Amino acid sequence: MRESPTGGNPGIPHTTTVIHRSYLFARGWRSATPVLLLLPGFLLYLVMAVGPSLATAVYSFTDATGIRGIAINWIGFENYDEFLLRGAASRDNIAALRRTVYFCLFVTVIQFGIGLLFAVLLNQKIRGKKFFRTLFFMPVILGVAIQGLIWKLFLLPRGGPAAEFFQLFGWTSELLGGQPRQAFAWVIVVQIWANAGITMVIFLAGMQTIPNELYEAARIDGAGKWQLFRNVTWPLLTPAVNTNLLLNIIGSLQAWQLFLVLIGYRPGTQVLGYLVFAEGFGQTSGSVASAFRQGYAAAASIALFILVLVFALVTHAWLSRREKRYIG
Amino acid sequence: MTAVETHQAPRKAKEHGPERTVRDEPPGWLVRLRRQKLASYVILVVFAVLYIGPLLMLVTTAFKTLPEFFQNPTGMPESLRFENFTEAWNEAQFARYLVNSVVYTTVATAVCVVTSVLVAFPIARGYLKGGRYILLLYVIALFLPPALIPQFQLILNLGLFNTRAGYILLFLVNPIGIIILVNYIKAIPRELDESAAIDGCGYYRFVFKIIVPLIRPAIATVTVLHAIGLWNELVLAIIYLTNDDLYPVTRGLIAFEGLYGANWPPMAAAVLILMTPMVVLFLFLQRYIVSGLTAGAVKG
Repeated sequence: MRESPTGGNPGIPHTTTVIHRSYLFARGWRSATPVLLLLPGFLLYLVMAVGPSLATAVYSFTDATGIRGIAINWIGFENYDEFLLRGAASRDNIAALRRTVYFCLFVTVIQFGIGLLFAVLLNQKIRGKKFFRTLFFMPVILGVAIQGLIWKLFLLPRGGPAAEFFQLFGWTSELLGGQPRQAFAWVIVVQIWANAGITMVIFLAGMQTIPNELYEAARIDGAGKWQLFRNVTWPLLTPAVNTNLLLNIIGSLQAWQLFLVLIGYRPGTQVLGYLVFAEGFGQTSGSVASAFRQGYAAAASIALFILVLVFALVTHAWLSRREKRYIG
Repeated sequence: MTAVETHQAPRKAKEHGPERTVRDEPPGWLVRLRRQKLASYVILVVFAVLYIGPLLMLVTTAFKTLPEFFQNPTGMPESLRFENFTEAWNEAQFARYLVNSVVYTTVATAVCVVTSVLVAFPIARGYLKGGRYILLLYVIALFLPPALIPQFQLILNLGLFNTRAGYILLFLVNPIGIIILVNYIKAIPRELDESAAIDGCGYYRFVFKIIVPLIRPAIATVTVLHAIGLWNELVLAIIYLTNDDLYPVTRGLIAFEGLYGANWPPMAAAVLILMTPMVVLFLFLQRYIVSGLTAGAVKG
């Protein structure tokens, strides 16, 4: 470190040298260089991410198709009107919206619980800790295609391991091919299997920031295991709890890709994210004309976005109130 | 209880000699501790079965003949046949899919990481007017609506639909990566910049010769995170690539499933072929993946 102007004078607190930008750039660096080098990345970001993101709102007011060369017309709130208010399709859409919320609730609650359970169990001094951590985290990196196919095989309706297991209790089921409700429930299971590892590692990272002395002090005061968790771990885990809740809620509201791999676009199982994809990119089973309705799909994705935003804001507000209560 | 004791007793004997092998009444706290550990193990093993079960099914299926599979899907294979693997490899163009995936992943990740460093460095240092707002723009983007549809219109109108370049263009930015890099660069002492400028080291050279080696852990994290997301991408591959020759492995796998349907043995072999390198890599890179996913998550 360079000598500060005050030298070694003990009376005046030692301060780090402040480097002025003008100084630095007058000496060797041309001031335009950082800007020029930043531009490619930043422009890419504006053009490929921010711009399209904002343009989604604009497209939602048009009748855009996914076919090149067809004129795009402004049609106002037509798409929203049709999406939410008109006819049988809108009833299906509302059902999909409700289903998205159910999916989110089940996945968030169960994944949060399982992730916390894994973290608590694997934060102990226990043999095979590393093995279990690796095992529970591994599905995360496989991606939806592999995750989905693995479970499709496991959930084979005739003679598959899951079917055999349920047969022991005299329960036969087509599993993924069964009633929409059953298929939906299995997607929830796979979604949690695939992502509980993330929740676990975030909790584990949070637990590792809790100083050991706190536990020792509490133990000397006679606290049992449950009290240690309730009064030390849980309150100090607040940042990890917040992160996990928000990540799980936002993630599960937007998740739909396992539906694609596991059951396809089946009536009675679609969630909003899948609807956007199906309408926008022609994956509905309908005619070509009804497919590729990108304006309509944009309106649906704005609806999904608003749902995510509302859930995230409400959760965030609730979490910060809870945090204040803990800190006092 | 007994399982734990029989497991531990012989170890004790080896360590401390015969005089300490028999402990008539273990103290109460030890009993409680062991009971608790036993309960932990029971829960962990139950879940481990749920995690290993599907993988085991995949492995056994991959070695069966089709009749064998239909007769007894859950049993062990009669012999270790590798025909399914060769069949899967030859029937689908997995070699080509793999090459495609490797090309997409390396090119897009390399461009993304290099441009990200050049964005993150001046922002972290405050060398730009309004750098703070640029960073804010990257943070906010995580909460913007999905870009899916306009992005498609953009690529379509650029004439890049169903091309390698168009597909790569979709993966060149990573806002989370920028945030990770900015936070990491902030911890590098700024005195370095000054000395470099005085010694006549140019900006570009400084960033790549001095800063990059210093922030290697952060770069590794961003690289691994970005590459995994890209490698696993399925939906964008379905949307943007219609030509079989351009498919990455994920899309190829789903196409293979469409062709093979219920013919699970080669299907399982294909999944296994594509999964194994991922798992091996994961075992090596676990640290970076985990640190990337938990970055900033627990600081409050």
